[in-house]
Amino acid sequence: MMFLSLRHLSSRKKQSALILLGIVIGTAAYVAISGMMLGFQDKLMDQLVNNDAHIRISAREDILTAEQLDSFENAKHVFWYTPPSGRKDSAKIDYPIGWFNRLNADPEIVAYSPQVNLNVIFNRGKVSLAGRMIGSDPHRQMRVTNIQSYMLSGKFTDVGSSGNRLIIGKALMNKIGASLSETILISSGKNTPTPFKIVGVFETGIKQIDETTVFSALSDAQNLRGAPSEITDIAIKVYHPFEVDQKVQNWRMGARDKIVSWQEASASILSVFKTQDIVRNSMTISIIVVAGFGIYNILSILVTQKRRDIAIMRSMGFTPKDIMLLFFNQGLLLGVLGGFIGLALGYLLCLLIGNIEVEAGRATSSSNRMIVSYDYLIYVKAWFIALFSSVASALWPSRQAAKLEPMDIIREGG
Amino acid sequence: MIRALHLTKRFSPTGPAVIDDLSVEIFDGNFISLVGRSGSGKSTLLYLISSLDRKYEGEVFYDQSEITHMPMQELHNLRNRQMGFVFQFHYLINELTALENILLPARKAGLLKEKESTAHELLKTVGLDEKAHRLPNQLSGGEQQRVAIARALIMQPKYLFADEPTGNLDTHNGDAVMNLFARFNQDHKTTIVYVTHDREFAKRASRQIELVDGKIVSDEAH
Repeated sequence: MMFLSLRHLSSRKKQSALILLGIVIGTAAYVAISGMMLGFQDKLMDQLVNNDAHIRISAREDILTAEQLDSFENAKHVFWYTPPSGRKDSAKIDYPIGWFNRLNADPEIVAYSPQVNLNVIFNRGKVSLAGRMIGSDPHRQMRVTNIQSYMLSGKFTDVGSSGNRLIIGKALMNKIGASLSETILISSGKNTPTPFKIVGVFETGIKQIDETTVFSALSDAQNLRGAPSEITDIAIKVYHPFEVDQKVQNWRMGARDKIVSWQEASASILSVFKTQDIVRNSMTISIIVVAGFGIYNILSILVTQKRRDIAIMRSMGFTPKDIMLLFFNQGLLLGVLGGFIGLALGYLLCLLIGNIEVEAGRATSSSNRMIVSYDYLIYVKAWFIALFSSVASALWPSRQAAKLEPMDIIREGG
Repeated sequence: MIRALHLTKRFSPTGPAVIDDLSVEIFDGNFISLVGRSGSGKSTLLYLISSLDRKYEGEVFYDQSEITHMPMQELHNLRNRQMGFVFQFHYLINELTALENILLPARKAGLLKEKESTAHELLKTVGLDEKAHRLPNQLSGGEQQRVAIARALIMQPKYLFADEPTGNLDTHNGDAVMNLFARFNQDHKTTIVYVTHDREFAKRASRQIELVDGKIVSDEAH
């Protein structure tokens, strides 16, 4: 029946071309929009997963209360003049060795890095800026995050194990007007500013990190904080970052410290991804549904127009299945062809989008161009959506055609 | 041989019988015209005995097989291989050329290549060998009806059924169609049953059956 289906399509060139155009646009739109959004998501996801710990154990920040410091439990005549309040000083992980033993014994852990995270003030000349210092063992830190790949100058290991050296975010360095090899003063707010030498510069593309963060050796950060041998965080990398939920739940049981997975830390961004996916799929489905209705309408009209043909074909021995295929094939052909042309057009659009130069940021490649995903699954999904919508829209009119009895058509005068 | 026994046809369960307890035998090689006034039931009888209408009381046998009990695939094969139909309106498929229209039953039977030379011969017989590649809308009404006849004959069917084949044609073209029927009946022993309201064309058949109110009132062989 393919022969006759093709003839039907070719004899209605304008109608066929319009339906085909609908499917092509729908498919191409899906490919281009998905390529753009997934490219952005992939890049961002890579940053979320690899720029920081998959799981972070950090010291719980306790708020002091009068009851916690009450040594005169039964002395009703003793009162505080000014009750204790505010954050407990020097939040720290109370029993890090316990965590280290646990992490060393866990086969799902790739690496972990004890850290000291502290808020600091950077001083250079008259410029003072608030920011954050992360003190760590550089070798351990490099196994946990991909910070080395963001180094613009120097190596991450240049901070060494002590010696007041630091790696600084490029934007922060620009803001305070410093340069490589220069010494700046850093204060934790409790003691006199300590000089640190800039030995490296990094740029992650994430403004809030690049503008505020410096990395130093663990002992240097501990000294600056005034609490040698204490740590505030343990950054952990696991083999399966998308399956950390259960582990985090288990660790939380009975633990006093705060344990946060990368997904919880990035919940707002991940929810944006979900919204993007819903928007992307809704948009494309709308286009494809419109094209599908086009096929449905045209085939329904065609079945009515071709009633005489159906009658004569049935009298020649063509079966109801043959008649169904005659119309169904047309939807199928349009879907297959429209799908393929749509994929090619979508690919071309992706190439064009990938060449658009944009301002440097999270969603750009190293050459400051739009990041586009060419994941084959986008193309497979787009083609199947095109095919499914075409086939589904062709099915009903085709079945109606197959049900027509030749005698009924002849008696009605065709 | 076709045998119709006690055929009764009503278009609604309580309506009048259009064909009323009618029995008839059609022998192989018969050339039969069905005549009668409008509403006499001649076209209805044609569709009943040709298997297109299978909703009736009574029985229609093709040799030993009763149509309503015949498996559907067998019925489709019977229509494809042993029957040809010609309607008052040609019912050609507009997207296909004259040659492709003629070859459509052969395409269904999977005998496209084998029947190609037969199709060209038929086109020659109906005088349209030079218009083989024309579309129906590029042919006159008479030419279209001749293409429809060639299509009905492509499988060299045992039975040819025609409903008012000359009804839409002028006398000259009507004559040409009747000549074709007579020739095929003689040359190929094709059983031909046709409905006509034209007394002159009815006389061209070797057997003339007249219907009045769904009953056979005369069945004469010449």
